[in-house]
Amino acid sequence: MNTPEVESFLARLYTDENFLARFLDSPGEVLEREKLSTEQRAALAAIDRSELVLAANSYRHKRDSRKSR
Amino acid sequence: MAAAHRGSDRFGLSWRPEYAAGILCHADEIDIVEIIADNFLRDGASARSLRTLSAQIPITLHSVALGLASSIPLETKRVERIARLFDHFAPVSWSEHFAFVRAGGREIGHLAAPPRNDETIEGTIRNVRIAERIIGGAPLLENIATLITPPLSTYGEWAWMDHIVGAASCDLLLDLHNLLANCVNGGHDPEQTLRRTPLHRVRVVHLSGGKWIKNPIDPERRHLLDDHLHDVPDEVYELLATLAELCPNPLTVIIERDGNFPAFEIVLDQLRRAKTAVAAGRAGRMKSRAMEMCLEHA
Repeated sequence: MNTPEVESFLARLYTDENFLARFLDSPGEVLEREKLSTEQRAALAAIDRSELVLAANSYRHKRDSRKSR
Repeated sequence: MAAAHRGSDRFGLSWRPEYAAGILCHADEIDIVEIIADNFLRDGASARSLRTLSAQIPITLHSVALGLASSIPLETKRVERIARLFDHFAPVSWSEHFAFVRAGGREIGHLAAPPRNDETIEGTIRNVRIAERIIGGAPLLENIATLITPPLSTYGEWAWMDHIVGAASCDLLLDLHNLLANCVNGGHDPEQTLRRTPLHRVRVVHLSGGKWIKNPIDPERRHLLDDHLHDVPDEVYELLATLAELCPNPLTVIIERDGNFPAFEIVLDQLRRAKTAVAAGRAGRMKSRAMEMCLEHA
């Protein structure tokens, strides 16, 4: 399943706001450029968008709160 | 490291500087404190301070940044840094999470749920065994809250965790608010989920609180965010009582609070309420067992 590539892709979605915005706007275009299998692309394209935004926001908030300490 | 706790239930708090004075002044009510290991890695002085604290109260170490639950191999130098803390004192246990925290050179900054599949099962077992070898004892693994259903998952959350702890021979740190949040967000019954967990492996329990947040795209939906910034809600105490009724092991129950700190007396009251909940659960357990024995001999 090459899960390391999927974990790397998720980490980028969670930490790169511009990348996340491009993915939400055109998931197919973004996924096409990645070294992922057809199965992986389909699964990532099917992510619940609102859950993804919630998660990314939550992780950004955690990073920001650490920096402010 | 100390052997698995086999005595009575214990109750404690996460160590926070804001509560240091309160913890030390009320040590007669606090059996144990949990230290975030990552906060004591930067210099020898802070690590040595743990020795002073451990002389007054038992400590359990909680690590948050190893990222054990991953198909990506563990960075051993991170474990070695934690292992050096053990040069200063002997914690009663140590724990980590069913989470990945970095990938592709990026630090997520918090605990993220990896795809729950055979690759991450194998990767987590491998990483746990490496950490166990370096530190000299296996970690308890904690269930995390996740706002996103991880893609490419072929297992449900608890089946995935069950495979890992079984193969890695690990025990569980059960975070009841994380369980509650994932259930209410995913449309599952929290008590039924609790009853299906591998309860014989639960040794430590975390209690914390969160808040409801709106869905950014669908205003009809809302989600329970486990932010550790709020008081422990009633539902978590109810789950704790149920756990105490069902779990055959002594439990170490720890109240977590990461910010928005109330007066220490309020946190102490939450600890006292946890003790009441566990006592009620244990009484229920004894009653059930007594009835079973009566039926056996009838």
